[in-house]
Amino acid sequence: MDKRESMWEYYLRKGMSRRSFLKGCVALTSIMGLSTDMVSKVVEAAEKKPLPVVVWIHGHECTGCDESFIRSGAPLASDLVLNEIALEYDHLLSAACGAPFEAHLEETIQKYKGQYILAVEGAVCTKDNGVYCMSGGHTFTHLLKHAASNALAIIAYGSCAAYGGIQAAKPNPTGSSGIGSFVGRSPIINVPGCPPIPEVMTGVIMHLALFNKVPSLDHDGRPKQFYGNRIHDTCYRRPFFDAGMFAEHFDDAGAKAGWCLYKLGCRGPETYNSCGNLRWFQGMSYPIQSGAPCIGCSSAHFWDEDPLTARMPDYGPFGNVDKIGAVAAAVTAVGVMAHGAMSIVQKNQRDKIEAKKHGEQVNK
Amino acid sequence: MRHVVVDPITRIEGHLRVEVQVDEGSGKVTDALSSGTAWRGLELIMKDRDPRDVWAYIQRICGVCTTAHALASVRAVEDALSIKIPKNANYIRNIMAATLTVQDHLVHFYHLHALDWVSPVDALAADPVATANLQTTILNAYRLPLKGPSSGLETEAYPHDFPAATPQYFAAVKDKVKAIVESGQLGIFAAQWWDHPDYKLLPPEVHLLAVAHYLEMLDKQRELVAPHVIFGGKNPHPHYVVGGMPCSISLDDGNAPINTARLDIVDRAINMGRTLVNFYYLPDLLAVGTAYVKAGRVDGGGLAKTRVLAYGAYPIEEYAGTSTKGGGGFFKNLLIRCNGVVENFGQGAANAKFTEITAEDLADPKVFTESVEHSWYNYPQNDNDEIHPWEGITEPKFTGPKEGTATEWQSLNERGKYSWLKTPKWKGKVCEVGPLARYIIIYTKAQKGLLPDMTWAEKMMLDQIAAVSNLLGLAPEAWLPTMVGRTAVRALDCQLHAEINKFFFDKLIANIRSGDTNVANMEMWNPKNWPKECQGVGIYEAPRGALSHWIDIKDGKTNNYQCVVPTTWNSCPRDSKAGYGAYELAMMDTHVQIPDKPLEIAKVIRSFDPCMACATHMYNAKGERITVITTDPYSGTRVEK
Repeated sequence: MDKRESMWEYYLRKGMSRRSFLKGCVALTSIMGLSTDMVSKVVEAAEKKPLPVVVWIHGHECTGCDESFIRSGAPLASDLVLNEIALEYDHLLSAACGAPFEAHLEETIQKYKGQYILAVEGAVCTKDNGVYCMSGGHTFTHLLKHAASNALAIIAYGSCAAYGGIQAAKPNPTGSSGIGSFVGRSPIINVPGCPPIPEVMTGVIMHLALFNKVPSLDHDGRPKQFYGNRIHDTCYRRPFFDAGMFAEHFDDAGAKAGWCLYKLGCRGPETYNSCGNLRWFQGMSYPIQSGAPCIGCSSAHFWDEDPLTARMPDYGPFGNVDKIGAVAAAVTAVGVMAHGAMSIVQKNQRDKIEAKKHGEQVNK
Repeated sequence: MRHVVVDPITRIEGHLRVEVQVDEGSGKVTDALSSGTAWRGLELIMKDRDPRDVWAYIQRICGVCTTAHALASVRAVEDALSIKIPKNANYIRNIMAATLTVQDHLVHFYHLHALDWVSPVDALAADPVATANLQTTILNAYRLPLKGPSSGLETEAYPHDFPAATPQYFAAVKDKVKAIVESGQLGIFAAQWWDHPDYKLLPPEVHLLAVAHYLEMLDKQRELVAPHVIFGGKNPHPHYVVGGMPCSISLDDGNAPINTARLDIVDRAINMGRTLVNFYYLPDLLAVGTAYVKAGRVDGGGLAKTRVLAYGAYPIEEYAGTSTKGGGGFFKNLLIRCNGVVENFGQGAANAKFTEITAEDLADPKVFTESVEHSWYNYPQNDNDEIHPWEGITEPKFTGPKEGTATEWQSLNERGKYSWLKTPKWKGKVCEVGPLARYIIIYTKAQKGLLPDMTWAEKMMLDQIAAVSNLLGLAPEAWLPTMVGRTAVRALDCQLHAEINKFFFDKLIANIRSGDTNVANMEMWNPKNWPKECQGVGIYEAPRGALSHWIDIKDGKTNNYQCVVPTTWNSCPRDSKAGYGAYELAMMDTHVQIPDKPLEIAKVIRSFDPCMACATHMYNAKGERITVITTDPYSGTRVEK
C-alpha cells in the first residue's frame, strides 16, 4: 500500500519530462470523457497521492458476490466506493462499457502497475484454452494472468475464486478451478463463501484502507478475524447440540423450538465462517437461525459433499460407505483427525467430544 | 456502414457482447447480433444429484435474481412428486419472490440503468436550490397514488425514508461529485461517453437529483431484502426446502426461526419497499421517461410489438401441481392471469391476438422448443430442428469468430454460430418476456374482455397503464412497446410487487392468527416413497420474465434438468425460421446518433435488464460426458475423456 505514488511521482521516477506529464494529463482528460477545460484539475489531481485503486474482474460467476458487497451495512458500499477506494473497473457498477472501458482497464493497469488491488470474483475456466469464458473478445484466463501479474495484492472473493465453486462441481464441464494455483503468486487473500457475508467482503478492503496492510491470514490465505472459528463454535444453537436436543425433521417440534440442526445435515461443525458471530445483515440472522442447516458454503469443494441434508456416513466425498467399506471408513477417520488438528487453536474439550461423535457415526 | 462492437456490456449480470451494423448517414441499425460469451454447464452438474438439494445448486445460476431459480426448482420437484406445500409456505415464498422483484427492479433502475440517462458530470452544473424545488415538483407531478387491498393491518404510521428536498442536501452531494471528478480518479464513473448528446435531454438538476438518489438507494436497497434474511437465513442465496420452507414458526419460542419479533422485521422491510417505490423510483422514472417521450424517443420496441409471452404469476393459495399430471392447479389460482402470448400488439390491442398458455402446453413437445442454428451447439440432424426441453440434446460446437482467433475475437459470425445461448421458441416463434410482456398481456386481455372477475392486482395494472398514458398523452400501444416503455413498466411492476408483498404478508399473519403454523409438508421427504421415475415443471414470473425449470427424477436421483430462462428468450441468437431474437430486434429498432459512442445501443439492451449467467447453460440429455477435469481434493486432479 505504501508503494502507491502519484502520477507525477511516477513520471519523475521514470525520468520523464514535465512536458510529457502534461501531455499525459491531456490524454487522460479525454479518456475520462471530460471537456478540455478540466485539464488543469486533472493535472492538479495527478500530482496528488491517489486513493487505493481496486480493479474487480469477473470469471465464471453469478454476480452474487457483487450483490453481497453492496449489501454491506458498515461500511456502506457507497462510502467505500466513493471515499476509501477508487473502483476503476467493475462490470456491475462501472458506468462505462465496451472499448473505452477496456482501454481504461489497460490504462489503469499501466498507470498503477504493482500498486492496485485486484479483486477476482468467479472461477477461472481453463478447458479448451478458456474459450468458455470470454469478455471483451479475450479469454478470462488472459485477463486474469495480465491483471494478476501487475497487482499489489489479490483478493479472491467467494468460493468460486477461492476454490472453483459451483462450476467446478463434478463433472466440472468447463475445467474450472480457484485462481490460486492458476495465478501462482501471492499474496492472495481468500474470502470464501457463497457468497461471503457482506461485511466480511467490505471488511477486507476496509482493513487495507484503515491499517494499510493485508489482514493476518491463516494457512489457507483466509483472514483470521473472519474465518478463525467454525460456525459450530459460535452458533447460538450450540447449547442444544451439547444437550443432545435435535430437530429430527424439518418443521417438527424441535425445529419450531430452534434446537440443533445437526441431524438435518448441518455443516456448522466443519465450516469456518463468521455466520455464528457476525451473522448476516449485522446480526439479523444466518441460515441456522432461520431453520436451515448450514451447507458449508465457505468450505472447499462443499458442492461435492452431498447430499446436503444428510450426515455421515451418507454424506461425504467417499460416496456410500456401505459399498466402499472399511477402507473409506478408515480414510474418513483420518479426515476427522486432520480436521481436529486444523482447529487446534480453538481446540477444547467440546471439540474432542464432537470428534468422537463423528467417529461413532462413521463406525456405525 | 460501420461495424460497432460493444463488449463487455456492463451493469448487467454476466458476460454479453453485441455487434451492430450502423448506417452512418441515417443512424439506422441494419443488422445486430447478441452473444452470450460464457458457459458454465450447471445443468450437467445437476445430473445424479439429490432432487431435494437441487434448489441450492441451481440457485447459483444467478446471484442478482437470487431466489428465482431456487423457487422454480422446488416447484419443479414438488410438481414431480405431487407435493402440496402448506398455506404458510406458499405465502412466505410469494413474499420472498415479490421482495426479490421490488429490490431487483429498484437496483436495476438506479444502479444498472440510471447512468445511461443521467451523468455525474452534468450534475455539476445543477443549482442545489433549483434541485430542491425540482424534488417537490416531481413528487407533485409524477406520483401514482395506487394501492393494493387493505386488510386493515396498516402498521406504518407515516412514510419513513422520504426524499429530502433541501438545497443543503443537494449541495453536499454536488460537492462530493465535484471532488470525485476533480480528483481525476473517477472510479465507477470513469470512461463513460459523458459527452453524448442524450445526456443533454435532461436539465442539470435532474442529473443531480438522480445521482443523489443513486447513492441513497445504494445505501437502502440492502434493507429491502430483509425478508430473505429472516425466512431464508441470508441474501444473496437464501435457503429453501422441498415441501415448503425451513423457517419454522413458533410464537412461543425465542429461538424459533419465525416469531413476532422476526415478522416485525419483515413487515418493516415491506413498508419500506412501498415508500421507496412510491416516493423515489416511480416519480424519478416518470420524470426522466416523460422527457424522453416528449423528445420523440419512442423507439427500441422491437419484438415487443410482435410477440410477448408470460406464464402467469402468484398462486394465491396452495395448489396441486403445475403440469397436467399434477392437476394443473397452478394455473387455476393466479393473482395475475398473464399466462399466454400476445401477437401484433404494435398494431393496437384490438388487432392483437391472444393465445392462452395452459398446463397441457408445458408437456406438449410442439409448444416449447429450442433450436441451435446460431448457437455453439450441434444437433444430430438439423441445427434448426425444434426440440422440447425434455428431449434436449446439447453437444458443444465452438466454431470461433468470423475474424480473429478462438481466444482473441475481432467480430463474430452472424451467418454461422455466435452465441452460447440457444434459441427458445413458442410454437416455432421467438418471443419477448419480462415485465413489459406481463403488462401487454393483461392490457390486451382486458381490452378483449378476457379477464372476468378481475383480481385487485390485474385491476391495479390497468390503472397504472391508464395513469401513465394520461401523463404522456399517448395510447398504451404507442408507449408500451418502446425502450422507455420497457423501463417504465418495470417501475410499475415494482409498485405492484410492493403491494403484492403486503397482500401476502397480511395473509400470512391472518393464517398464523388462525392457529396454523405449518411451513413444511414432509410426507414425501423419504425417497423410498417416490415413484421410480417422474417428471415435473416449476414456473415463476421472475423479475426478468417467464422462467421454467424442468426435472426428470429417476431412482431417487436427478436424471435430467433443464432451465428455460427469461434472458435466453430475450437475448437468443437469430433463427432462419423464427427470425431475430428480442435484443437483436430492439437494437435494429434503435436510432444511433454517434456510431463511435453507441450509448443508445447500451441503453436499449439494459432496458431488458440482462442476466447472462441465467441464459447460458447447457445439458447433454444423454448424460454423455465431454472432457471432464475433476479437481477433487481427495482424489486429485485428473482428466477424463
